[in-house]
Formats: sequence, structure tokens, C-alpha cells
Amino acid sequence: MSASSRTEAQQRADEIRVFQKELDRLEREGVLTLSDDQRRAVAEHQRSLLAQYAQAFDIDRDTQSRQLSIGMRVASFLGALALAASVFFLFYQFWGLFPATAQVGILLAAAFGIFGATFVIQGRDATGYFTKLAAMVAFACFVLNIAMLGQIFNITPSDKALLPWAAFALLLAYTCDLRLLLAAGILCLIAFISARTGTWSGMYWLHFGERPENFFPAAIALFFVPQILDHRRFQGFAAIYRVFGLLTLFLPMLVLANWGQISYLDFDRTLIQGFYQVLGFVGSAAAIWLGTRRHWPEVVNTGLTFFVIFLYTKFFDWWWDIMPKYLFFLVIGLSAVLLLFVFKRLRAGGFKAAGEASA
Amino acid sequence: MNWSRTHTLIAGLGLLALTNAVALLGVAYNRSGEPEATLRLTQRDLRTPYQWRGNRENSGLALSLIWRVLNEQSTETQPYSWRYGGTGGTPPWLDKAKMETLGFDTSAAAAYSDRSRTRYEKQLPRDVLLVLELDGPTYQRSLELATQYVAREEAKLASSPGDQNLGKRVKNAHEALESETSRNSRLFVVDAGLDAAALRAKYPDAGRYAIVRGQVRLESLDRNSEKVRGYVSGLSVGSINVPFALRDVFGSAEQVNDIDQRNRAPFEATVAFGKRLEPWITEAAKK
Repeated sequence: MSASSRTEAQQRADEIRVFQKELDRLEREGVLTLSDDQRRAVAEHQRSLLAQYAQAFDIDRDTQSRQLSIGMRVASFLGALALAASVFFLFYQFWGLFPATAQVGILLAAAFGIFGATFVIQGRDATGYFTKLAAMVAFACFVLNIAMLGQIFNITPSDKALLPWAAFALLLAYTCDLRLLLAAGILCLIAFISARTGTWSGMYWLHFGERPENFFPAAIALFFVPQILDHRRFQGFAAIYRVFGLLTLFLPMLVLANWGQISYLDFDRTLIQGFYQVLGFVGSAAAIWLGTRRHWPEVVNTGLTFFVIFLYTKFFDWWWDIMPKYLFFLVIGLSAVLLLFVFKRLRAGGFKAAGEASA
Repeated sequence: MNWSRTHTLIAGLGLLALTNAVALLGVAYNRSGEPEATLRLTQRDLRTPYQWRGNRENSGLALSLIWRVLNEQSTETQPYSWRYGGTGGTPPWLDKAKMETLGFDTSAAAAYSDRSRTRYEKQLPRDVLLVLELDGPTYQRSLELATQYVAREEAKLASSPGDQNLGKRVKNAHEALESETSRNSRLFVVDAGLDAAALRAKYPDAGRYAIVRGQVRLESLDRNSEKVRGYVSGLSVGSINVPFALRDVFGSAEQVNDIDQRNRAPFEATVAFGKRLEPWITEAAKK
């Protein structure tokens, strides 16, 4: 089987390594014995696959190179952020020394040049780390390009700028298989959809964050993107959409559960807060259920995190002032134990269901 | 059709080109033909933003439009409000009827329940068109109020000559008048609307009145009042970039960064407002 991306190739290589270990163990324990021919055929097949992947995608072939890869990934992430910031401050420091035509020329050259360079680097960089650096700088240059045109020519600020930024980030993310830029593109999309939602009620777009309900359409849209578009070729992309969808749903709910007066709803403040508290509990519980059912660990974890946050903020509201502190923390501890039992049962139920399905 | 690297390259270059083209064509359209308005502003009406640690490395220079609103009722209680501009205010003309024409729901203000007050106060700022008046009747009225204020404080001091507090107030009133006469901005927000053509018909003098985009919100209701008041909260384009060729006009870095503004090199800058109501500096000279 051939792999279409580095992530897919790496996953297959990891599975081969696990298989080899388990095979050794089974042979030592006398459960399974392969003939010399079979062992040779399996080893040859796996060696050939690994060599093929290593050549095409520069995968990690052992634990040591995997550990080094994690370090490289962190360095690449920090480097990408630092280089993007460096480009921004470099222009900021010198742009006043040039006439407007030169300023525009520099901005265009930087945006087009780094985008082209990203392509050249991607063609030569099997690891993807340098591509990530270049792509992040290309995105920063494009954001700087449009923001500075606004400043140079005194253009009225508009939420419409978020749309090409989102499109550019997503284009780079899908082309170069970069989750960091996918997140950047998603953030631009969240801001754009929320700002548009806000302006329907007549508000000035920059105030969209003052009505948390403006984020709900973006949350729903993001959560369903991986259901509509097939993301199997892009490892981890569907999970990022779902996590951002849930964050965009639950964070505004959490804010409204505590500050009901900033809601669009025309009810009493405490009633709005109660409504969003219930919605928060039901929503996060539903996320846990859906995540367990569909085998989406990121949905389970996000749902669980928000369920606990909603629960503990309620505990704080109810009992912090009236209970002695030792009792308050005892209740928190006991509720954590209770949650452990609930999830243990859920886990056991999951294993049972999986067992029945395999039988 | 399989999406290839070439497709991505074309899409990316197209996106970059299209976005830049839209932005630059918008600029060209704004600056094409005769400007919608042209104001001759001085160091009184244009100020450099405060330089703080975070933006010290910025080599660009942008001047803020120092706009004010005149509220005659507040001049009694807040004489120092004459000194400052660009921070918003509640002009008397921004009343219930005007706020309704700008799209605000003011019906809830009449009801006295906390919920209707909340409903009223929950309305967020709206994007509207504001009329800026330069050195016009509103500035003359402001000058008149400052003069009246000095006269009132002097009359109070004359009735109690030994009162040190009143003496201080007279000194402050004279300082306020001096600021109003020679240092404060003469640029006032005098009207708001949603139709640029209607506003221009009402204020035809394009050398004194400029129409700009800005934001207006409802002012919180007083505890014992149901009076609806609007608050001018800002301009969409609050600062204007200084072109490289005109940079020397605005003085040395020390003068540009002088917060007190007393030592600022005097200048006159012609600011044009284009078809999209976006400003730019066309000329500037030291005075």
C-alpha cells in the first residue's frame, strides 16, 4: 500500500515497528512461529516499504529519530512564529523611510516572493519543517501586506480582509499539509462569520465580540465541515475543525452562563445565565456521547473539559461563600472521583460494545 | 480534476493579486476626480498619536484627527472638557429623534423597569456618517462659552475677593480660554446621518464640512431620567498617514512626540476626503 502523505507514511512505519515487537513477543512465548521463508518475506516487504517512505517523506524509522522529530517540530513551530514576527517588525521599523510606491512595491514583492519561495522549498523539503517556516512567513507577509495598505492609504477597516487571509491560510495549509496554518485560517473564518453575524443586527463589525452568540453560526459551520468534505488525506485536519467548532461553541456559552446581560436574548439576566448553564451541560455531555460513539477522542476530551469547567463554576457560585474551604475542595475532590466512576463505566461499556461488534 | 501543485500556485498568486487589486483600485477610486471635501487643518486639529514603548520602533508617522463635540450643558460642570478632543461626547443634537433615524430603538427608554433599561443599553455602536465642521459656528460658540465662563468666574471672585479657591478657578478659566483661542482643535462633529448626499446637501461648503464614517452609541440612561442621548464614540479612520515627501513639515521627533503640544512646530496641512470618504494629506507646509 502506498502512502499519500508524510503523516500516513509515518503512521504505517509506526504500525510496522509495533508489529515487529509483538511478533517477537509472540514467537518468544511460543504462540506463533513463522517459517524462515515467511519471516524473510515479511521482513523484506517491510524493509522495502520503510525505505520507500524514508526516501519519499523522510519519516522517523526508529524511536530516537522520532524523539528528535518532536524537537524539530517544536523548533519549527517557534521559528515560524518568530520569523513571522520578525518580518512584521522589520517592515514596521523601516517603512517610514520609503515613499508610498516603494512601500507598496516592498509589500507586494514580499507577499509574492515568499509565497513562491514556499513552493520551491516544499519541492525540496521532504521533512516539511522548512516548508512550515516558509508558509507561515508567507501568511504573515500577506496579512502585513493588506494591513499596511490600509494604513498607508487610510482605508476604512473592514471585516472583508479576513476572508482572503482565511483563504490564503487554508490554501497553504492544504497544499503543504500544515495544521498551524489550518488553525490560522479557521481563526480568520471564525472572526469573519462572527463579524458578519453581528452586522446583521446593525452593530459596527468591530464590536462582534461583545455578543457571544455571534460565534454560534461559525461554531456549527466548523463542526460540520469534516462531515461534508472528506479529510481522510489530511491527517488531523478533521479533528482541528471539530475542536475549533466546539471551542467556538462552548467558550461563548461559558461567558453567557456567567454574564447573561451581554446576550441577545431579551430575558432576565439570571434566566439567560441559567439557560446557558443548562445548554453548556447538555452540549458538553452530548459532545462526550457523540465523541465516544464516533470514536473522536478530541471531541470527547473537549466535551469533558467543558463539562468539568461548567460543573466547577457552578460549584464555585453555589458553595464558595457558604462552605468552609476544606469542605469546598472535598466536594470538588469527591465529584472528580464520581466522574472517574462514570467514565470507567462508559469505558467498560465501550469495550463491551467493541467486543460484541468484533464477535 | 485532480488538484495539483500548479493549481495551488495559480490560485495563490491569483488570490494575492486579486486582493491587492481590490484594495488599490479602491484607493484609486477614492482619490479620483474632485475630493468630496478638502479641509485645511493645522497643528491644532491634527496630532501625532502618543508614542509608547510598544510602538517606538515604528518609523511611520500618522496624524490623528482631533475632533470634538460641543455639549453646552457640560461646560458648567466640566470646564476642562474644552481642552481635549477625540475622546467622544454627547452633543445635544444627538437626541431621541436623531438616534431613531440612525437605527437605534429608543422605545425602551420610556419604560422604567430595569429590564427595559437593560434592553435599551444593550444596543451596540452603529456605523454612521458624521459631519466634521472646521472653524465654524460650533467653534465660535465654544469660544463664546469659554469667554462667558471667564466672566462668570471673575464675577464670583469680585464678590468674594479674598477667596483663594475662586482665584484658582479664575486662573484656570483664563487658561481654558487661552487654550480654546489658540491651541484647542476647531474640528467639531456637528451632525450624523446615513445618507451622504443628504448630509452634503445640508452642509454644502466642502471647504468647511467633511463627511466621514464613524460610530455612535446610546448613552446610558441617568437613574432618574428617561432622556435619550447619543454618544459619538469614534471615527472609522481616526489617523491619517503622512506621506514620505511631507514628513519634514511635521518637525523633529522630539517635537512630534511632545505630549503637551505647546512646543509643536506650527503647520498647515490640506486633508482631502475622497469618494469613499477616506482622507489623505495632499499638501503640508510649515507656518
